[in-house]
Amino acid sequence: MAIEMKVPAVGESITEVTVATWNKKEGDHVKLDEVLCELESDKATFELPAEAEGVLHIVAKEGDVLPIGAIICTIEAGGATASVKVADAPVVAAVAAPAPAPVAAPAAGPTSVLEVKVPAVGESITEVTVSVWNKKTGDSVSLDEVLCELESDKATFELPAESAGVLEIVAESGTIVPIGGILARITVGGSVAVAAPAPAAAPSAPAAPASSVDATYAAGHPSPAAAKILDEKGISAASVAGSGVGGRITKEDAVAAVKPASASAPAASAPAAATSDRTRREKMSSLRKTVARRLVAVKNETAMLTTFNEVDMKPVMDLRGKYKDKFKEKHGVGLGFMSFFTKAVCVALKEFPSVNAKIDGDEIVFHDYCDISIAVSAPKGLVVPVIRSAENLSLAGIESEVVRLAGKARENKLSLEEMSGGTFTITNGGVFGSMLSTPIINAPQVAILGMHNIVERPVVVDGQIVIRPIMYLALSYDHRIIDGRESVSFLVRLKQLLEDPARLLLDI
Amino acid sequence: MDRPLGAYSLSIAYMQDFDVVVIGSGPGGYVSAIRSAQLGFKVAIIEKYAVMGGTCLNVGCIPSKALLDSSEHYYNAVHSFEEHGIDIAKPKVNMGQMIKRKAGVVSNLNAGISYLMKKNKITTFHGLGSFDSAKTVKVTKEDGSSEVISAKNIIIATGSKPTILPFIPVDKERIITSTEALKMKEVPKHLIVIGAGVIGAELGSVYARLGSKVSFIEFADSMIPTMDKTMGKELQKSIAKMGADFYLSHKVTSAAVKGKEVTVKAQDSAGKEVEIKGDYCLVCIGRRPYTDGLNLAAAGLTADERGRVAVDEHTLQTSVPGIYAIGDVVRGAMLAHKAEEEGTFVAEVIAGQKPHINYNLIPGVVYTWPEVAAVGKTEQELKAAGIAYKEGSFPFKALGRAIASGDVDGVCKVLADATTDEILGVHIIGARAADMIAEAVVAMEYRASAEDVARMSHAHPTYTEAMKEACLAATAKRSIHS
Ligand SMILES: Cc1cc2nc3c(=O)[nH]c(=O)nc-3n(C[C@H](O)[C@H](O)[C@H](O)COP(=O)(O)OP(=O)(O)OC[C@H]3O[C@@H](n4cnc5c(N)ncnc54)[C@H](O)[C@@H]3O)c2cc1C
Repeated sequence: MAIEMKVPAVGESITEVTVATWNKKEGDHVKLDEVLCELESDKATFELPAEAEGVLHIVAKEGDVLPIGAIICTIEAGGATASVKVADAPVVAAVAAPAPAPVAAPAAGPTSVLEVKVPAVGESITEVTVSVWNKKTGDSVSLDEVLCELESDKATFELPAESAGVLEIVAESGTIVPIGGILARITVGGSVAVAAPAPAAAPSAPAAPASSVDATYAAGHPSPAAAKILDEKGISAASVAGSGVGGRITKEDAVAAVKPASASAPAASAPAAATSDRTRREKMSSLRKTVARRLVAVKNETAMLTTFNEVDMKPVMDLRGKYKDKFKEKHGVGLGFMSFFTKAVCVALKEFPSVNAKIDGDEIVFHDYCDISIAVSAPKGLVVPVIRSAENLSLAGIESEVVRLAGKARENKLSLEEMSGGTFTITNGGVFGSMLSTPIINAPQVAILGMHNIVERPVVVDGQIVIRPIMYLALSYDHRIIDGRESVSFLVRLKQLLEDPARLLLDI
Repeated sequence: MDRPLGAYSLSIAYMQDFDVVVIGSGPGGYVSAIRSAQLGFKVAIIEKYAVMGGTCLNVGCIPSKALLDSSEHYYNAVHSFEEHGIDIAKPKVNMGQMIKRKAGVVSNLNAGISYLMKKNKITTFHGLGSFDSAKTVKVTKEDGSSEVISAKNIIIATGSKPTILPFIPVDKERIITSTEALKMKEVPKHLIVIGAGVIGAELGSVYARLGSKVSFIEFADSMIPTMDKTMGKELQKSIAKMGADFYLSHKVTSAAVKGKEVTVKAQDSAGKEVEIKGDYCLVCIGRRPYTDGLNLAAAGLTADERGRVAVDEHTLQTSVPGIYAIGDVVRGAMLAHKAEEEGTFVAEVIAGQKPHINYNLIPGVVYTWPEVAAVGKTEQELKAAGIAYKEGSFPFKALGRAIASGDVDGVCKVLADATTDEILGVHIIGARAADMIAEAVVAMEYRASAEDVARMSHAHPTYTEAMKEACLAATAKRSIHS
């Protein structure tokens, strides 16, 4: 039977792709997962691996532009392949025909097991996080029904079932799975083979006759206590190696089981993890990789430069010194510097709208509101939660938002929602003692304010050398849409507002 | 909640508030209360009767077993003592004492449950529980006074009552239910039992042993029709030895009392009518889920067409969040141990745990002698599901232990997957089958093969060797002793 291979949904905004090059010819025998061709979208190019082993029939020629879901080619699968319709899915999964399954899968018989793998979702994405399962292990799923949501650092997308059958989840929510990694299995036609709610009620289809040594039909079957423990840990029985008789999962196995963090990571990084005396190698976390990629992209894709100024913090500090106790008493939050800076930034952004804009294609998008991202260091790295419509908040309102978001950041509890959509960023290198730095824009925003430490410096006021608490300010901006005059004026305006905070009150 | 906030907060002010309120103190209810308390919840239990324990303890499992054991002793004294070399004067039944002993057993255990409630700091309310809202329950006491308590979680465990058919006028004197059969003042001369299911078979054999003529009328074509067919057939043979009559595939059309005589009319499948006369008629045609007086509507709940409270399979939660139901009042086998499992399950679900119940592996037992016990699939079920299986049986008459004690009626039958050898069902009729079935449950929870069990040492001489031999037979037709 033939499997139709379609253009996978490769990203939120991508509606069509161009067939760039065919690596295989019409009539070639292709193997499972072998790269057939390269597809190009306006965002990325990516490879299309074969969903099955068999003979290739090319439908779309090089240079053809195809909408998502259109047929690219068909693969005439030989003999034993399960009769599975491959859905128009963002899925480049394999029909687990002759491939050895980790659990004693039925060798032959009326049922077949389809492995649901992470589809190639875009050139730069190497792994995804399973965010939520809409279905449970043991549930019957129908063709094209949405099984789960996957998250990459770029987008979230839904994964529809490639076939009707009974679902068995392999990668639980929260698990990071590389592209091509197994997310679940669908037992097509017939009863569940592994770890269904009523295992004995649904004995698996023919497998090897029981022997006390080899893995048997019961391999991976958790004992009653083990089943409860695994469920509570959110670990699928399929991902636990049973040490009991015939591969059964004992209570001890379940107690010792840990969530497969990134199923293939340890194996893949094994050679790299080798440590010599003077160097040590570690695999980058996915967050680190995302950060790295983004930073380079911003450097490469924007015309970024930085302008500086200095602020005499005395007026703000005096004000704070005078009122901080009353403020705390009345509002229940401390009065920090962050609220003054945020407030001043909002005023300045209103006056220089291009600093509060972004570029979309050949258009500039101006924001009539100030959603201020604030950089906070969290256990896993820097995160930037957003203070929404900061222009409408009082100083106390801003302070309590900062406290709330920073608290959530420390506990790793920020939602994606809370971290996206900012229009301008404030980062404070001063907390680590930085005197001066050039922050990198938080794309797609076009400007970022860097705060620094406050140091008493000799400055000249009215012809006299006096000691004043000084902070250097840095504004990095995208010169493509912000001119030097605007960026410099923005920073000067900030300086003016902070050195005379009464202006904030009077709006002058 | 759509009542005015003021009224609500006012009532809160004096209302006792609990994390978990359990309605009904049967094996489902009291177990869920204890487990909830173990998990740290503040728990209350409401029971409308003065005593705790529900159907099971007061008019079910326990009193029936007490009478089964007493009648078994009597039967042995009359029929097998002589053979064992014990000569005694012909024993007489003292029905009053038998019932008194039974009552003692029950009240002993009543006190036990009350003690467990106290020990676990569970507040007990005696009175009729009825929903006041989805979060509050009104308790109406015997004296008419009432009190409303509130709870974050409510567990309905109100159990079941005997089913009564309109054309069988139960008067609880001559035409009786299981409840009256457990407190008879005399041994019936001729007891007509309508329904030869588990309860009918058990109570019928109590009186057959005590000397009653017993006639079973059953709509299905065998006794205990929901169990494996071999079991019904073998049980019928054993009970027939006590002189019982069977009217299988017979439908009762009427029953009437005249003085001390009950006349029951029934039709066979061909429509031919029979008339049976006796002095008592015991109606055991099933039980219905019991929600009378519970006022489900106030909680936004309704019972289904069979009177059950519908629950979610994965959580046993009803359609109203925070309200759960367990035991006989929900779908599934009406068994005390099933209710207990669900009691534990729900308490753990409320605590955020993820417990499991394997409904396929809840054993069913009939406490006749020989006893019948089964777990897993019957042959009929395997055939219907198209699963290829092998069967291995071992007769008790070939078992040393059975011969030594003289209890040779019975057979142990193991059904295993034709290919994998996994045990799919175990059906035992014979002495102590009720206790033997536990081995099969353990084996099947671990998905053991017949050969696995056959290779485990079983003490000799015991009845459990029948299980080992049947597994040998199922594995490779190689039992040693037959
Ligand atoms: C004769 C007989 C023999 C049996 N033998 C066995 C056996 O050997 N093994 C076995 O497993 N099962 C046996 N059963 C079945 C077993 O008794 C039931 O399955 C079991 O009792 C169900 O438990 P439950 O907790 O669901 O309900 P129940 O035990 O029925 O308990 C429900 C309780 O709730 C109370 N209640 C009801 N409504 C309210 C209300 N509105 N407010 C307050 N309280 C209320 C009732 O008074 C009762 O005490 C037998 C049954 C009978 C009749």
